Amino acid sequence: METHRDYTGSKIGMWLFLLSEILLFGGLFLLYSTYRYKYSFDFHLAAGELDRILGTLNTLILITSSLTMALSISSIQKGDRKLSSLFLISTILFGVLFLVIKSFEWTAKIHHDIYPNSPRLLGRSPGEVLFYGLYYSMTGLHGLHVLVGVFVLSVVLVFMMKGKINTDHFVLLENSGLYWHLVDIIWIFLFPLFYLIT
Amino acid sequence: MEENKFHILKYRIYILVWVGLVMLTGITVSAAGLNLGRLSVAVVLTIAGLKSGLVLNYFMHLKYERRLWLFKLMIPGIIILLILFIGLTFFDVALR
Repeated sequence: METHRDYTGSKIGMWLFLLSEILLFGGLFLLYSTYRYKYSFDFHLAAGELDRILGTLNTLILITSSLTMALSISSIQKGDRKLSSLFLISTILFGVLFLVIKSFEWTAKIHHDIYPNSPRLLGRSPGEVLFYGLYYSMTGLHGLHVLVGVFVLSVVLVFMMKGKINTDHFVLLENSGLYWHLVDIIWIFLFPLFYLIT
Repeated sequence: MEENKFHILKYRIYILVWVGLVMLTGITVSAAGLNLGRLSVAVVLTIAGLKSGLVLNYFMHLKYERRLWLFKLMIPGIIILLILFIGLTFFDVALR
């Protein structure tokens, strides 16, 4: 019996999931906008302590990983499974690189005793406490999404090597690509709001 | 197979989109250096919106989804929803 496949249905399912993810982060962005409005100066002060260079680097890394993801899908459509897996591996490596840099940023802050509920942080003004709370929650939730994405893409890579994903059936690759692009888009908004506000 | 019936994008288009994204990143970082005060949030969000538009339309293929208008409507719909949420919240927060 042939497996039932529904290409359009699969993509609709993924898009619906992405919409729910947008609402999830949307709630946090709502918090951010409210507290930013209330404590603009404190946010400006605290944001200055974040490493803009690392933030920009991470942005470029994710943008490039989106490129390699798109190229991976394009190449499998054209029948080149080998090239497709190479692009997929690059995407995964970029994702890991992003997480490594993020961990450097976090450990640096934690080393300076700035983390949720640390005495040092609590001694600062309320706006700054809120900024860091939002910083850790939002980049943390985003980082978790990147980590999950790396796992999912690795599983997809295994499927590709086994031939389950090929020129005729690649909706799994496309859907994980959609997820990955969303993670990129979320960072595209997180980056300026945390690192670049003046 | 349905999957074969759609538009295969050339590699070149993806690379051009990537160049555009990198340039917009550069612009947004430079814009942050200028002292625009209140306007800075609007500028930075607009550029972020442009970048997302590029990712959505080209990398995520929305521009080439002919089959279902549903896909093309979902994203503007959710954006309007978020603007509503944040906007309506500000009716409260801004007037306290």
